[in-house]
Amino acid sequence: MSTFLLMTITGIGLGALYFLVASGLTLIYGLMGVLNFAHGAFLSIGAFVGLWFATSIMKEATIPNFILAMIVGGLAAGFFALLMEQLLITRLYDRHIDQVLVTVGVALVVGAVLGGWFGNDLRLFPTPLWFLTGINFFGAIIPADRIIYIATAVALLIGNWALLRFTRIGLIIRAGVENRNMVNALGINVRRAFSTVFFLGGFAAGIGGVLVSVYSSGVSPLIAGTYLIYGFVVVVIGGMGSVTGSFVAAMLIGVIKQFANYYVTGLGDFVIALLLAGVLLVRPQGLFGKRIS
Amino acid sequence: MTLRWKYSRYFLIVIVAALFAAPILGTNPLSKPGLQQTLAVAFVFGALALTYDLLFGFTGLLSFGHALFFASGLYLTCIFINHSVFVWWIAIIASILLTSLLAFLVGAASLRTTGITFAMVTLAFGEAGHVIVNRNFFGLTGGENGIALNAELIPQIWVGVVNTKYLYWSALICLILTYLIIWWVTESSAGRVFAALRDNEMRVQVLGLNTRNFKLLSFVIAGALAGLLGSIMLLLAGSAAPRFAESNITIALLLMVILGGAVTRWGAVVGGIAYSFLTTRMQDLTQNGLFAGLPKYVSGPLSEPAFLLGIVFILVVMFAPGGLSGAYYKLRLRSISKKYSSSK
Repeated sequence: MSTFLLMTITGIGLGALYFLVASGLTLIYGLMGVLNFAHGAFLSIGAFVGLWFATSIMKEATIPNFILAMIVGGLAAGFFALLMEQLLITRLYDRHIDQVLVTVGVALVVGAVLGGWFGNDLRLFPTPLWFLTGINFFGAIIPADRIIYIATAVALLIGNWALLRFTRIGLIIRAGVENRNMVNALGINVRRAFSTVFFLGGFAAGIGGVLVSVYSSGVSPLIAGTYLIYGFVVVVIGGMGSVTGSFVAAMLIGVIKQFANYYVTGLGDFVIALLLAGVLLVRPQGLFGKRIS
Repeated sequence: MTLRWKYSRYFLIVIVAALFAAPILGTNPLSKPGLQQTLAVAFVFGALALTYDLLFGFTGLLSFGHALFFASGLYLTCIFINHSVFVWWIAIIASILLTSLLAFLVGAASLRTTGITFAMVTLAFGEAGHVIVNRNFFGLTGGENGIALNAELIPQIWVGVVNTKYLYWSALICLILTYLIIWWVTESSAGRVFAALRDNEMRVQVLGLNTRNFKLLSFVIAGALAGLLGSIMLLLAGSAAPRFAESNITIALLLMVILGGAVTRWGAVVGGIAYSFLTTRMQDLTQNGLFAGLPKYVSGPLSEPAFLLGIVFILVVMFAPGGLSGAYYKLRLRSISKKYSSSK
């Protein structure tokens, strides 16, 4: 029983990391139809800026300092995302394939710059000691860092939901995901919503970057790739444009992967590929996606 | 159906003949095995870029999983030969057939989605392939280190540095073979449907054609050819390694096609050869201290080929969408129209 609980909660913790990447991807795709390959770059930027902040500005690895580093990393990635959107994406208005290609280019450049500056070896991230302790949860000893991942993901989900539900810009974003042309026709400037979504997506990915560097016990430009691919898988399974769908799919994938890896080492990725194929065969639009006519 | 010979045919024949003859014509740069090897790899990537052009340029399918079929051809051939399941040439044919089957299955599942979702799904399948060869299931793929090809089980003319020219010729023949097949496919009536699918899928549907089957056909042809090229790559590299299955390979193919120009065929080939050749050369140059005089924060990114490539790629996508061959045709069109207007 305690093993089952441990596997489930660590799986959810992993899913929380996937969700941080996928939430931005799904909103950006839902609103603008842009498949953002540079999302992995946002993750790396968040991780490296967070690392810089945690080591050079904050000398001590305490929990408040860590949270601050997380937010700084998130903001840096968010502003980078905003910059990319303003400089490149908006100029390719409605050229969706070209937008994808440009994000591929940005991913290459950022990867090369980070690799050239810092090298591709893992750099240790200063982690508060508390993260390394275990918490007794109904008899199962849960690593404390998983709690942080889950809490951050839930906070982001709630924040996202509140923003989309209760603010004017959220209303425009929701309407834009539903039918962008109609919103435009009503004389509302969707561009601001685009920028907001890019910033939020970058912010979430940057925070994810800091957490991922704790999870994989170090920062490296090479880490982002795997998470980007899992982000894509989560978005496809959850349904494009649906944040709730991404949340559910991320948790599902995290837990399934954890269990599969527990029984046969290395089987997790394979099972996820099968799951993806299965979902596509039964429900091509994803679990929470709208049917495409 | 006839294949059109264009005016540039003599030019092309001269180049191909020169490339064939170069290794045995006295002393020139191409009589050195080093350059022969580099160019042979470049030829394989030129051909691979062409198969990707069939998908992306001609059929409009943005796939991020094409490396899967390249790697599948590579690994299957290596496994068949090493375990003496088949003689080398049957091993190559068998791996092409199995790769086609794999392409059929992956294509059948992924083509249930379209557009951007299709891109994501193929990426996920490609990555699953990378993970599988990395994990060394049943000790078949050798995990992270890959597997070395048993050189005793292939014809000896492909073994050894002295014989690099035979590998070079084999790669060149494969490039030409791929070019002819793609040429034939894209000019056939099925090729017309591919182009129509890219331009307006709904209209093809209205004409009563099964769009998914045609896309699947294009996907399988491209996959099968990628499998063949994987087999050749195995001979060139002497081993099968997970780096051939990485999604970076597919992204490189995308860059080659975009930089060379999609839909013109020769654009993809030139893009592929140039990309492969230049990245190899650049690594040599930076290792020899090309940027040694510059401060670290400048020389670091510059010594990564992806940095300059990424920037050029972004600029081409934004300002010159036709790539190299597109720019060439634009120039020609301009000169023709100028001639026309001045004669009037």
